Amino acid sequence: MNTDREKWARVRIVMIGTIFGLLFLSVTGRAFYLQILQHEELVKKAERQHQHIVQLTPGRGVIMDRNGTPLAVSVDMDSCYAEPRRIKDMDGTAGVLAPFLGTSKQELLKKLSCDKGFVWIERRLTPEVAARIKNLKLTGIGFVSESKRFYPNSEVASHVVGFTGVDPVGLEGVERKYDSVILGNTGYMVTERDALGRDIALKDTVIKNSSPGKNIVLTLDKNIEYIAEKELAKAVTESGAKNGMALVMESDTGRVLAMANYPTFNPNAYAHYSQAVLRNRVVADSFEPGSTFKIFLVSAALEERILRPTDLINCENGRYTVADRTIHDTHSFARLSVSDILKYSSNIGAAKIGFKLGDERLFRYLRNFGFGERTGVDLPGESPGNLRDKHRWYGVDLATISFGQGVSVSAIQLVSAVSAVANGGTLMKPYIVERILDDSGREVQKFEPQVVRRVISTDTAKKVTRMMESVTSEGGTGLNAAIDGFLVAGKTGTAQKADPVTHGYSATRRTGSFIGFVPADKPKLTILVVIDEPKTSPYGGVVAAPAFRSIAVNALAYLKIMPKGETQKTPKVVAAQTPPPPKADAASEGDALDATTGVAVMPDFRGMSMRRVMQVMEKRGINIKLMGSGRAVEQNPPPGQTIRGVDEVWIKFTPSA
Amino acid sequence: MIDRRLLTNIDWMLIGFVAAICLLGIMNIYSATTPYKIVGAPYYLKQLYWVLFGLLVVTVICSLDYHILEDFSYWFYGFLIILLVAVLVVGRRSMGATRWLSLGFFNVQPSELMKIVIIATFAKYFTSVQTVNGLSVKDVLFPLGILAVPVLLIMKQPDLGTAVLVLLIALSIAVYVGLRWSTVVTFAVVMVPLTWFGWAKLLRPYQKDRILDFLNPERSRLGSGYHIIQSKIAVGSGGVFGKGFVKGTQSQLRFLPEQHTDFAFSVFAEEWGFIGCLVLIVLYLVLVLWGLNIARRCNDRFGSLLAVGVTAMLFWHIVINMGMVIGLFPVVGVPLPFFSYGGTSMITSMVGIGILQNISMRRFMF
Repeated sequence: MNTDREKWARVRIVMIGTIFGLLFLSVTGRAFYLQILQHEELVKKAERQHQHIVQLTPGRGVIMDRNGTPLAVSVDMDSCYAEPRRIKDMDGTAGVLAPFLGTSKQELLKKLSCDKGFVWIERRLTPEVAARIKNLKLTGIGFVSESKRFYPNSEVASHVVGFTGVDPVGLEGVERKYDSVILGNTGYMVTERDALGRDIALKDTVIKNSSPGKNIVLTLDKNIEYIAEKELAKAVTESGAKNGMALVMESDTGRVLAMANYPTFNPNAYAHYSQAVLRNRVVADSFEPGSTFKIFLVSAALEERILRPTDLINCENGRYTVADRTIHDTHSFARLSVSDILKYSSNIGAAKIGFKLGDERLFRYLRNFGFGERTGVDLPGESPGNLRDKHRWYGVDLATISFGQGVSVSAIQLVSAVSAVANGGTLMKPYIVERILDDSGREVQKFEPQVVRRVISTDTAKKVTRMMESVTSEGGTGLNAAIDGFLVAGKTGTAQKADPVTHGYSATRRTGSFIGFVPADKPKLTILVVIDEPKTSPYGGVVAAPAFRSIAVNALAYLKIMPKGETQKTPKVVAAQTPPPPKADAASEGDALDATTGVAVMPDFRGMSMRRVMQVMEKRGINIKLMGSGRAVEQNPPPGQTIRGVDEVWIKFTPSA
Repeated sequence: MIDRRLLTNIDWMLIGFVAAICLLGIMNIYSATTPYKIVGAPYYLKQLYWVLFGLLVVTVICSLDYHILEDFSYWFYGFLIILLVAVLVVGRRSMGATRWLSLGFFNVQPSELMKIVIIATFAKYFTSVQTVNGLSVKDVLFPLGILAVPVLLIMKQPDLGTAVLVLLIALSIAVYVGLRWSTVVTFAVVMVPLTWFGWAKLLRPYQKDRILDFLNPERSRLGSGYHIIQSKIAVGSGGVFGKGFVKGTQSQLRFLPEQHTDFAFSVFAEEWGFIGCLVLIVLYLVLVLWGLNIARRCNDRFGSLLAVGVTAMLFWHIVINMGMVIGLFPVVGVPLPFFSYGGTSMITSMVGIGILQNISMRRFMF
């Protein structure tokens, strides 16, 4: 009997197990029904709910130079919205609000009379306007905090830093390349939860705060950047050129210390500039390098041991015909050593070296120096330049490529390649971001110098450096780049520009450039200056070399790299060329005043157009926040007052009637 | 104390299933509470502490022979009835119900303990009742009395969810003991007027609302039907593969109510989809079947009854919670064992696991 009972107990266990199993099965069945059969319908329902959610602009992290000086910051501002259904007096509300917003009452009424439960009135208002509207205490008008991008240094490094659009998305420069790092998480606000069955009290609650993104520390040094931009601007304007660029790189590491384009733009008002001005040409454009290319030709020839620096080459007295083309030298020479071919920049000599080297080897070395492919610098829109495959070199190509015609390179490629000569033969990957910090300042990521490959031996690099030093010595094409107390290795470049109409070379439009590194005996900085379509003289030695020299002198002084040898002469030069001692203290440079210029008094801007205001800002070196559009009507501080110590320098514009 | 031989009999399968579910639970709580403004320790960490504390409880329970429960179950029962009465007299009110008893430095919820005690009491009673053809109406009158007192006290708090659970646990044990058909029919007949009485006199308006909402969610989109609709949208929009970890729009935008506690499964279903649901359901299924297997293997009637009771307790929690989340049952505040955030539920469930482990370990001792 007892065993019988146990048998029944087991049967009932199975029964209970079956019941439990069936209930689990029904849960599974229900999940299947909801997640697979009803999936699409429920996704639609979910999406309909999201219409009651308004996204809040996330903050962006700070972009700063290597000393911590902020170049791009996010400022919290109030955005104003309306809930039309709660507004009783439409006409009145629109009438009161319109004058604050610079729009007409009719337009505002149109906005308010839409059928939605939520509508933005104006996003990111100035604090003062927001405060005034808040004081009105209008029903149905609310505020929520959103962030706006602000560039405290205006033009300085604008092409590197880039800018963001109306949506907080990076459009250019580091802002674009590191967008996902800099951009924080989007926040959300509920606008109509009552309709979904919650109390009205829960409405307008921010259910998820937007969070700030990570901060970026650049390799750039604001002071060197400033020096480069200033000298470049001077060189471009003095030579009547179209535009220009300058680049300063640490020769050993590939760190970009300065990257300048001229004309510059103010990222706080980027919409006022043409696309051509906004483009970072240093990275995005390629140009014919001209004679600067001879550095790599000679490097290849020495590394392959087909020539020694002292070997003489017949330079045909200035005229030499290859295939169907005659090559000319600016000055005619009978015979030149390899070293002198570089010094006097003989095209015929270069072509002859090219022939000795042959297309296969020249092509291989040029590729190894990084031409014809992107350097991988962490900036958007990089151009790979154009180095045709050697199978597609015809007729005169080997000769012309030897002196830098029929190829195109980007400025960043050229500087990286010359840095390889400077640092003893190693090509380094150029980079612009040094570190990424989280919002509490802790380091998240650090970028180290990266070796791409060894291109030439240290010995060859030394020999080429000696030869490049002769360029800036008496009689060389780059004498204007010589600096007292320092050995300067360099090379001039003058290239004809391709004419888009004739597809041949333009007789008048040229690019003058100078590239080099200092101090040549212990290279620290590789510097390139390119002047596009100068009017005064087409020669790099004339238009670009002086700018190179000024940048080098000032940067060396700033970096406290002391001249050797003629020490008694140099301090004078340095003192004359050095800008007011730049401050490295980040806090003191965070305000609207540019520390490197000594402007103290606010001019009277009232009545000026925005263009005119920006010209004055540029001239006086003041950094001002521009609001609205049209003509200046209001400014802070008032005319004649000192700017130093004022929290915010701004000018308000309203459209003229 | 614990016998050395017992250690070799530790039921690792049981511990493994529970640990797997707890880990999924902690991960899910992490996701569900991401949109919360958190003060102090994050929820997922607190849940981890509760799991570890729960495992300590399991260890303590295992070190005592479960037959202690047989000796003391009526005493426990009497003590808890006193506590339940005390709750109604001096209990702490929160959110419209009086469920907690403040003991100065910490609070207890006697109704939660009652789930375990009713199992022990029933197991003890039915161990002594000998039936051949199942329980007759007369046989069940006494246990019905034992059951009615706590259930009515709990309904009075009011806590419909716990009351229903205690009823279902007791019913499961009775089914295991065996009911005569005549008993089943008699109760079916008696239940009709009783149900009417319960509906009319015992249920609070909000409880009736919930049942009506369940029967027709559209009845009050703005009221408590909101929970069911939101949960169905979240689960359904998850689809086959889900939206991904911390990517569920409905949970991250907080459309879901109580998404880290009672509706935790809803967050999981949205982010891991039907595949994730299957994994979790299968884990729970094997856990429950394993509990029944422990009951089957036990050579001791009291132990067997106890194991069935504990397994039934876990099972009804699981099915009622999941059923609620996917709109199969009305919304009653029943947490998902080992998965929902909360210390009370974790401890009760772990006490259950401790008892199952205890029985499983000692199966060779008799």
